[in-house]
Amino acid sequence: MDQFEKTSKVIYRAISASGLTKFYGSNRAVDGIDFSVLRGETFGFLGPNGAGKSTTMRMIACRTPPTAGELLVEGINVRDGGRRIRSMIGVVPQENNLDPDLSVRQNLLIYSRYYQMNRMEAASRSDELLRFVGLINRAGSRIEELSGGMKRRLMIARALLHNPGILVLDEPTTGLDPHVRQEIWQRLEELRSRGGVTILLSTHYMEEAEKLCERLIVMDRGKILASGKPSELIRESVSSYALEVRDADSIPLLPLTPGVSGTKRNGAHFYFADSPETLAPLAKEFDEKRPLIRPSNLEDVFLQLVDGGEDDCEAI
Amino acid sequence: MSSDSIGNNEIERKDDSLLFFRTSFTKISFQDVAAVWLRNLQVYRRMWKMLFAAPLIEPVFSILAFGYGVGSLIGARVAGISYLSFVGAGVLAFTVMMRALFEMTYGAYFRMVYQSTYDAILATPVEVESLAFAEIIWAVSKAAFDSIVILLVLFIFGAATSLFSLLVPLPLIAGSLFIGGLSLGITSRIHDIDSFNLYMAIFFSSLFLCGAWFPVEVLPGVLRWVAWVIPLTSAVDIARALLTGKFLWRQVYESLYLLFAAFVFTEWGMRSLRRRMVV
Ligand SMILES: Nc1ncnc2c1ncn2[C@@H]1O[C@H](COP(=O)(O)OP(=O)(O)OP(=O)(O)O)[C@@H](O)[C@H]1O
Ligand SMILES: [Mg+2]
Repeated sequence: MDQFEKTSKVIYRAISASGLTKFYGSNRAVDGIDFSVLRGETFGFLGPNGAGKSTTMRMIACRTPPTAGELLVEGINVRDGGRRIRSMIGVVPQENNLDPDLSVRQNLLIYSRYYQMNRMEAASRSDELLRFVGLINRAGSRIEELSGGMKRRLMIARALLHNPGILVLDEPTTGLDPHVRQEIWQRLEELRSRGGVTILLSTHYMEEAEKLCERLIVMDRGKILASGKPSELIRESVSSYALEVRDADSIPLLPLTPGVSGTKRNGAHFYFADSPETLAPLAKEFDEKRPLIRPSNLEDVFLQLVDGGEDDCEAI
Repeated sequence: MSSDSIGNNEIERKDDSLLFFRTSFTKISFQDVAAVWLRNLQVYRRMWKMLFAAPLIEPVFSILAFGYGVGSLIGARVAGISYLSFVGAGVLAFTVMMRALFEMTYGAYFRMVYQSTYDAILATPVEVESLAFAEIIWAVSKAAFDSIVILLVLFIFGAATSLFSLLVPLPLIAGSLFIGGLSLGITSRIHDIDSFNLYMAIFFSSLFLCGAWFPVEVLPGVLRWVAWVIPLTSAVDIARALLTGKFLWRQVYESLYLLFAAFVFTEWGMRSLRRRMVV
């Protein structure tokens, strides 16, 4: 690697992790992972419950120190630059932690003090952000009067107060209805189109990851299973088209024709091939089960990479 | 165990030994402390009626009960002053310490566990030492405010007879730093709100030893020593001297001991909160 390449990597990387590790006792929450996030990129963390997504994000946001490995945020080592790093990161943690004793606007104003913003700046920035997330009419409401979606939007506004260069969103849309989710996506797209902000996002919604993330990693049990662009991952891991047959537990997997792969998962059959025509004859066999031929998606990749793990259920 | 996890232990041990020599006070940013303190004030201000009522009710009844009720039974002077004056210092110290205690046990636990206020704050540049110090100072502020309100009551009842009374918040501030730090340390170490019961029991029993209601001198030998080890005994004794203007040499040592305890336990409170929150 020549000198130029080295320095340009340093400059354009918002985050670089190597051998990043976090143990809780003997539990390997994050187990020696390497990845890097480019500046201005939207980067996703996927993985089942307990994979280590939140832990990784908490290390990036300097909320918890790594057990081992190296982690640089904007070129600063998290071990000795916590304060500086936190001043340029905005965080939406997995659980809301708004101040229930304060109003919507007060929540922002008080939070701005932790960033040493002056009052004028904080007041105008708060109103601007409340307008941005559509809560300006609720500025005086108490937190308990807000719906789940409103609280989540307020959390996002709060994370943007100090104009952070990096936004860390831990499952920003979990538990929200499709409208609110799409609205949040739109806000994030807007932020992105204004440029400059690097977004790290974890999610259990594959379409969300596919839609928003330029690159992502799939984690399981503290390790990275796969990484890359969503489209690449789909292309590399599964063929372009999928045939999905639900509720077919009692039927054995059909014998596979050339160019077709198949698997049985959670009582459903999945067959993959490079063209819908190859799958059509198979679909005929399941006529009464309402088979579905569709382009493969990230969910197929995810299900293929990650086995049941923590959530394995016994049939009753 | 793999070599990785051994390496990990080494890192943690190294951090600990560093902490042993460097006090957490060096990590405090006073701007950050102010920001957190103002947050608490803003929340508390919404309940401004409580501000005056809460510190008044208990001490007024305590003084009526102990000063006049018990005092009339005793009729004699205690430690050279009227029982009303004697018990005035006790009521004052008791109420103020209790305020610091509750703020840094149930209050802190509530913010830490139920409201995740600490989590929200620690996502910002504020370091955990600043947060812990701000919390302790907040408890001390409430205690100091109470001590002034109660001091007025003591003047009205005639239990404060010296001009030195105006200085009486000082030993109580030191005492509530001690209690605040100790309580925050304990709060950082429990995972269940019922665990406070034991601490409360010890706290309230020890307050009986601390010379609030009767002189430490009447205790039998061993208990007397125990009483003097508890920093609150010093706080009560100094407060009483200031209220009555009757000083003893021992109060110089008591002041030093009280400051030492305040420092040590504030430090302990800050370290404990780091241990709890930064994992
Ligand atoms: N504070 C903690 N103390 C002890 N163990 C923890 C702590 N935080 C996380 N863990 C453990 O670390 C592992 C990874 O947890 P983490 O929260 O990072 O997973 P996640 O990928 O975010 O999962 P989810 O999708 O459920 O949010 C889990 O086994 C969890 O039990
Ligand atoms: Mg998580």
